[in-house]
Amino acid sequence: MDTKTKTGTLLEAEELLRAPAPAPLVPFPLEVRVPDPSRQTPAVGQRTTRPDARTHGLGQTKYIDDFYVPGMLFAKIKRAGVASARILKVDTSEAEAMPGVVAVITGKDIPVNSFGPSLKDQPVLAHERVFHAGDGVAAVAAVTEQIAADALEKITVEYEEFTPVLDPLDSLKLETPGVHAPSANIYGHKLIKKGDIEKGFAESYRIFEASFRTQMVEHVPLEPHSSLAQWDANGRLTIHSTLGRITLGRADIARTLGIPMSRIRIIATVVGGNFGGKNEITTEPVVAMLSKKTGRPVKCTFTRPEEFYSSTTRHPIIMDYKTGVTKEGKILARKIRLVLDGGAYCSWSETTLGKACILCAGPYEIENLVAEAFVVYTNKTMTGAMRGFGAPQVCFGYESHMDDIAKALGIDPLEIRLRNALKEGSLSPTSQMLHSVVVRESLLQAAKRFGWTGSAQGAQA
Amino acid sequence: MVSVSLTVNGEKRTASVAPETTLLKLLRETFNLTGAKLGCDVGDCGACTVIVDGNLVNSCLMLAGQVDGRDVLTIEGLATSDQLHPIQKAFEDKGSLQCGFCGPGVIMSAKWLLDQNPDPSVADIRDALSGNLCRCTGYTKMIEAIQTIAREREDAKSVV
Repeated sequence: MDTKTKTGTLLEAEELLRAPAPAPLVPFPLEVRVPDPSRQTPAVGQRTTRPDARTHGLGQTKYIDDFYVPGMLFAKIKRAGVASARILKVDTSEAEAMPGVVAVITGKDIPVNSFGPSLKDQPVLAHERVFHAGDGVAAVAAVTEQIAADALEKITVEYEEFTPVLDPLDSLKLETPGVHAPSANIYGHKLIKKGDIEKGFAESYRIFEASFRTQMVEHVPLEPHSSLAQWDANGRLTIHSTLGRITLGRADIARTLGIPMSRIRIIATVVGGNFGGKNEITTEPVVAMLSKKTGRPVKCTFTRPEEFYSSTTRHPIIMDYKTGVTKEGKILARKIRLVLDGGAYCSWSETTLGKACILCAGPYEIENLVAEAFVVYTNKTMTGAMRGFGAPQVCFGYESHMDDIAKALGIDPLEIRLRNALKEGSLSPTSQMLHSVVVRESLLQAAKRFGWTGSAQGAQA
Repeated sequence: MVSVSLTVNGEKRTASVAPETTLLKLLRETFNLTGAKLGCDVGDCGACTVIVDGNLVNSCLMLAGQVDGRDVLTIEGLATSDQLHPIQKAFEDKGSLQCGFCGPGVIMSAKWLLDQNPDPSVADIRDALSGNLCRCTGYTKMIEAIQTIAREREDAKSVV
């Protein structure tokens, strides 16, 4: 494209700004970039534009909240607000009597009130028990969002509150009451053993111990979770949803609604940010049941607070490291214990646990290793998938630990990593032989680009 | 019900809405201009950014009744039927948007900035985008795109 048209565009567009806008739903007859299919274009090293860039920039991309279906009702979910309790009574009568409210459902209206990507431990709407403050206890469908929100305030719930389990280390203890009693609080465990850990420590010049912990992190996609269900007279269910994993979600939806998967069609809408937080169902069975009950399309969009306390978050991990090293900083033995705070439900904890445990030794050659990881229930917002599945947390742990060791031994932090880094043919913690290993090269390249000249205390080595 | 009469993207519009209706809901639900998004509903994220009488506004915080007689510009009012606005063009060329949900708000902030300051520094651009949260991009390519437009404007001036 030449500069002449560019400058032309610029000046005229400014003048035309005040001209009447086109109707928003009419496609623009703009020049469209269509690749020539008969030509093989070199992809690597070429600049390209995203196929959705234009509609994004024009504000024409239709996210789920931009859809309106005639006759559509708006749903809102009443949140428990207490971390651990028995539900004694839910009174929805006043809400149901409100003008504009079309239907109200509670946990007892959900045919099979449990789901989850691995363990089926999460209710769609809390029935009998509340496991964390973000649990839904009732849902309202109304003709406007405002009426639905007002109706939530008319729903009264009586609770018998219990002392919540909040600290994952408490949750590990035998005397702590089970969050999902009679099930144990530890619901996932992984142990990796390699070499002879005691021999490694015995031969070490020094042994370092440290404990690290990370916090809970919410994905905060700019677009909140949302779904829109239409249950038709033939018993077929169509759901538009922000769900990332629609096939997996369909299995969970079919389970909770007690209908075969073949009756359900899920349409994934353009997602306004996922980051792992839209990997499981949230409001889908609720809007489906409300749609079945009312015979009308029903949409439910999370509010921003719900996004924080009712969707999944990143696992906080408590990491205990013990490392034996030679005088030169070579790691002889490392022992690690990870305790993952799983929150109220399993969600993607098993995946996160596995990945955190396999990666927690770091990209280093360690002959004698023990890594043990536990994931426990607490009465907090559930934790699940978030970019990296546990890898960023343990990276913070092992790299902080390496810095501490380097400092204590007076070795440059880059040098100690180079001395321990995985090499071509190294064995991973699970004794898998590694190929195409470029840890050293990457570190040296990065050091060069950062202009790393060594730390102040790294002189002697 | 509140009756409002305003100019939206150069067109006179009138509507009668419930008094609690925000400008954002008026635009999205009454006028079907869904470019401005609802991200937080409390004025934190900037996904609902529009320009009212030349001022940048979080439309989720402004009531529809407050825009009576005023002039509102939304993302839908930037392009014409045959031309993208230079900011939209630059954002497309530079790949400035990923999921795109924050895009309409960011572009309105950029438009407001370039109206005020034709040659903004990186610090000026960062400041102008400080009210727009983006969780995908890290802002780098948005800043690049806005700088490009400023530079092209300079070039255009020297050509004329």
